[in-house]
Amino acid sequence: MQRQRIVRQPAFLMLASEFGTATLNEKGSGEFDPSFVITKLGSKANRIVACGLLERLEIRETSNGSTLYQGQLRDPTGLHYFSVGDYNSETMREMCNKWSERTDEGEPILLMMTAKTRWYQTDEGAVYTSLRPEEACEVTRDVYANWLLDACEATMSRMKAYSSSLEFEPTMDAYERSDLPAGMKQGLLAARNHYDEVDLEPFNLNLMQALDIAEGRIAAATTPPPMMRLPEGEEVDAASQGDGELRGFILHVVQHFDQGDGVDFNTILKNAAARGYVREQAEAMLDELSDSGEIAEPRFGWFRALAPTEE
Amino acid sequence: MSEEKYADYIQAVLKECPDADSAEVATAFAKYEDEFYIPPQDAMRSVLRRFKSGTGPARTATSSRQSRETKKVALLTELSGDDRDIEIEVTIATHNVRDQLIRGEEKQIAFGFLEDNPWEDNGTKTRWDYKDWGPHANLAAGSIVRIEGASVNEYNGKMSLNINQSTRIVVLKEGVATTVSTNEPIDISSVPSDGYICVVGRVLASRPDQIHRKDGSGSIDVVRGRIADETGTIGFLSWEPFDHEIGSLLKIDGAQVRSFRDTPELNFGRTTRIEVFHDTNFSDLETLSKSTSLTISQFRDGSRDVDAVVQITEWNKRSFTRDGEEKFLWSGQIADPSGRCRMSAWQELPISVDDLPVTVALKGVRIRAWQGIPDVTVDNNDQVEIISSPPWDESIDLNNHCVEISLTEMVAGPSRVGIETTGLVVSVRDDSGLISRCTECRRVLRDGSCAEHGENEGNEDVRLRLVVDHGGSTAAVLVNKEASLAALGMTLDALHASVNEHGKAIFVQNVREVLLGRTVIASGRSIVDEQGAMLLSDSLEIPEKDAQLRATELRTLWGWA
Repeated sequence: MQRQRIVRQPAFLMLASEFGTATLNEKGSGEFDPSFVITKLGSKANRIVACGLLERLEIRETSNGSTLYQGQLRDPTGLHYFSVGDYNSETMREMCNKWSERTDEGEPILLMMTAKTRWYQTDEGAVYTSLRPEEACEVTRDVYANWLLDACEATMSRMKAYSSSLEFEPTMDAYERSDLPAGMKQGLLAARNHYDEVDLEPFNLNLMQALDIAEGRIAAATTPPPMMRLPEGEEVDAASQGDGELRGFILHVVQHFDQGDGVDFNTILKNAAARGYVREQAEAMLDELSDSGEIAEPRFGWFRALAPTEE
Repeated sequence: MSEEKYADYIQAVLKECPDADSAEVATAFAKYEDEFYIPPQDAMRSVLRRFKSGTGPARTATSSRQSRETKKVALLTELSGDDRDIEIEVTIATHNVRDQLIRGEEKQIAFGFLEDNPWEDNGTKTRWDYKDWGPHANLAAGSIVRIEGASVNEYNGKMSLNINQSTRIVVLKEGVATTVSTNEPIDISSVPSDGYICVVGRVLASRPDQIHRKDGSGSIDVVRGRIADETGTIGFLSWEPFDHEIGSLLKIDGAQVRSFRDTPELNFGRTTRIEVFHDTNFSDLETLSKSTSLTISQFRDGSRDVDAVVQITEWNKRSFTRDGEEKFLWSGQIADPSGRCRMSAWQELPISVDDLPVTVALKGVRIRAWQGIPDVTVDNNDQVEIISSPPWDESIDLNNHCVEISLTEMVAGPSRVGIETTGLVVSVRDDSGLISRCTECRRVLRDGSCAEHGENEGNEDVRLRLVVDHGGSTAAVLVNKEASLAALGMTLDALHASVNEHGKAIFVQNVREVLLGRTVIASGRSIVDEQGAMLLSDSLEIPEKDAQLRATELRTLWGWA
């Protein structure tokens, strides 16, 4: 059989809220088949163009000795999580090093990136999406504003396609005969079969926010990043910001996944890993939390929060 | 009684299968004859197979099934590409015999297509091609047969059936004449790139031709021509005598479509039915010839008998030597509002360079392509007629005329000259910037060496290599030196200085800061092939946009003002 030539996958202009709420993926059976993240709006994306404020960029040494840069990119609708590793070009890693130093010093940096979409599911079924940048560069506020508008337009056309897709029977046959955009049909159908009824209102709000920012009504694009709100609102004293986030995150996981028996060790670490925390650090934090009495280990390897807070 | 009737055959079976019960063997022969009209001599092999290597019919049935695992199906759709031994009842729709050289041996094989679900008159039928390597004498068009022991072939996603020499063909119903394909005629513009179809069209051109066999074993008389309907025209090649006059309206059923280069062509063979068609409302020859005139954007590699009105914008005489004799060729640029391409003529045209641009009507010319760009070939000067004024707005300067097309149209279309398209830069390749080209062939040198001409000091050049996306389509864009420098707002000296100061990688990173994620307008010529689409760009523009204004516009557009 003739081998199908691998064609380059087009990039979707995508805001963080659409990408972050996606929980569906698709990967062909062949070794070189591309993988896709399918969003609620039916974007079947192997590659996206993202842009926003570089909110965090940290260097992590992984257990096998390689270096990993993990970062967050904030746009008006939410956060993209991304990682840059040894598989990236030297230029990219060098740039990450510089950007990382500058963000540590509190300098705001706007980044534009084209990135491959990644997808991770924990054993419990929680799904996280993240990005692997291929190319990235610093941009000016004007470029960012124009990108926001491009992304808004792209999102709006996907919302419209999604709405009109609801008029058809959810079968490929019916979609093929419809006048839906050709490149969207597969994704729209997969999204419709996977996601429950999608509420477009949050997307509308996201677009309005984005327009506000593009118009310069909020100076959000160049103000320092908001601190991640910790669910229990406890004091982060001497610990660094990253440690504080990790602490909050682990407490959140322990509370969130507790079905009455506590949460097992692996679940916590896997979730932490999916969010970009290094295993060793997460383990250390778990020890620390046990020692400080914030979480307890009633059985070996099972953890419960001691003072659960109502959310 | 039946035992006596089949005595000889039963004897033969018992000789092979001594444990078989003669009464049961007789029942089997009777069943074949009564239920399927299979005489005992034809049923012999089936019966033998059933009784071989066992005593009871039940046990033999299972054991033979284990050894061969015949897959019995009712419909072709139940089969998959790796099925090797199948049994199915089908209608043989067409049956053609041809000679083929197989491993140096001249063999006769048959091919055609068959349809499943033979007993239902109006049921859905799936149609597959088949090849009969037997060939089996009892296969005939129009008959219903049971095929036992055929194998499935899958090639490029297309399924077909191989009828092998060991395959059994049981004729269940004799063929009634050729009740071939009562195909509905389709529009010529919607002719697929392969398959059997039916069209109704008027003959625009027809001339006898000969095809010489490559092995020198002689030549075949054929007829080439062109037919048209309101939706378009298509060339044809008839392997059978074809004496319909130009202007005749024909219904052509069972024509095979084959593609030569990028151009589909109809093939008329033994099973093609051509009949004169009567329809007073069908457009006459004059209208069809006029409406079938093509624009440059519609030129496809391999097309023949093309009519078009174009403007010649450049024209040169060239000479070359063949077999020690000096010969001449005229060539140049042509244009119309849909695009530009080249044209070559083998005879001198009454055109002087001082008269350019000259508008001409081309009749019956051939299209070839070089690097995917169409090149019109004029064989005789009577194919070209000079006309006084172009049928389009004369003020268009076709020399610098760029046709704006969407990236999707560019990617899906043929290679074109003089186009302009818009897209978002999603990648600035690391080999953008200063490059060295081979002094021999202009290939880009890798580590100072050319793939063809080896080590080479190279000539310096500047280019940008980008990938742009728009509307779900993606294309590579190569920007030439002048356009690259203009887009970056740099002189060549400044670019040198920048590369020297920061190094190549940081230079490219700086280019990214100017281009990545930005919408650009690029113009030039496109090359579209199986590797994807590429735009060789001589202009790259990054339009300035006012975000505030755009946001307000979007707000109004979406009713949020």
